[in-house]
Amino acid sequence: MGRLCTFFCTDTGIDRLNALLDDPANDARPFSQLQTEATKYETDRYIRPRLTAAALKTYPLDPADDPGLLRCEPWGLAKQMIAPHQLEIRRRGADRVELHYGEWDAHRTVYMDGRKRLASQPPSRLGYSVGHWEGEALVVETSGVTKGQTQWRSEHSDQLHVVERFTRAASPKGDTLLLTATVTDPWSLKEPLVIKKIWSWSPTSQIAPYDACEPVIAVKKGTSEP
Amino acid sequence: MTFGRWLCAVALLLSAKGASAHHSFSAVYDDKQTVAVTGVVTQFRFVNPHALMSLDVTDEAGKVVKWTVEFAGRLNLSEVGWSADSIKSGERVTVTGNPAHAIPARMAFRRLVKADGSVLRTGAPERLDAIEEERRERARQRDLKK
Repeated sequence: MGRLCTFFCTDTGIDRLNALLDDPANDARPFSQLQTEATKYETDRYIRPRLTAAALKTYPLDPADDPGLLRCEPWGLAKQMIAPHQLEIRRRGADRVELHYGEWDAHRTVYMDGRKRLASQPPSRLGYSVGHWEGEALVVETSGVTKGQTQWRSEHSDQLHVVERFTRAASPKGDTLLLTATVTDPWSLKEPLVIKKIWSWSPTSQIAPYDACEPVIAVKKGTSEP
Repeated sequence: MTFGRWLCAVALLLSAKGASAHHSFSAVYDDKQTVAVTGVVTQFRFVNPHALMSLDVTDEAGKVVKWTVEFAGRLNLSEVGWSADSIKSGERVTVTGNPAHAIPARMAFRRLVKADGSVLRTGAPERLDAIEEERRERARQRDLKK
């Protein structure tokens, strides 16, 4: 699951990959091939059917048009929340939690004291997040996100709304953190999209500065892989 | 210790392994092609989002061509033992990688051989080997259940 979920995954993709791995007929096929097949199945059976006609007009976005690639423009919430590399979660005072990502060295503040976003507050790339505990789970709700691109290669509107649920779990390889994110957006999604991601506990890892991004001066459009 | 109290006590630092993808690979590099050049390192920058190496390569006509080699970022390289000193200016190296579609003298790193024969590579093949070993074990367990 970890490799399939490097960016994100869904139950549809996980089930498909497990079925492929359990089939003895696939024992000689390289894992990367099975992973590609499961990802395509996930795209065709789960993601694409949930996109609205408006979102399908530009779907799938060409990776050569990524503003992060062309202009070193940091990612918005719909990419950042499931970015590769590290995630550091740290309590900041009594009323907030900080999410710090290795990718882009990005920071999100989650307000834990029940405050609401003011209507006058302008939207931003990473939005406005409030959180609370549900037993052992940290639940973060985010709105107020400027329109942008998603990790599943669609556009989204400023009506994007995300509920992230972080839970810890033990595995034979050590502690893990599982994210289940429920994404809604009336402009781009006909029904909620539920995506998952997994991180492994890595206490000695350090987030290094992200200060040497250089825009790529020439790209090839129309390549199929992200 | 609950998740909440753990958060209060220490930072929760996790890594999602296996990716170096700050941006699309295929939009910039051609993974169907491989190129190899030999030259002298003029700079190695161990930075994010991608480490970069500059290399002076002398062609057959005696002209020096300045190559740029793009690597994974610091996290991916650190996980397989790389540091800022892994490649030093002045070293003569042979580097192999995937050429850029539309940027001359630029490649994405795959393998580097130093003058003493030592080899540097990323961790991707080792990770895939580990996954394939897990698959073989999974198949063995499945056969035992039959």
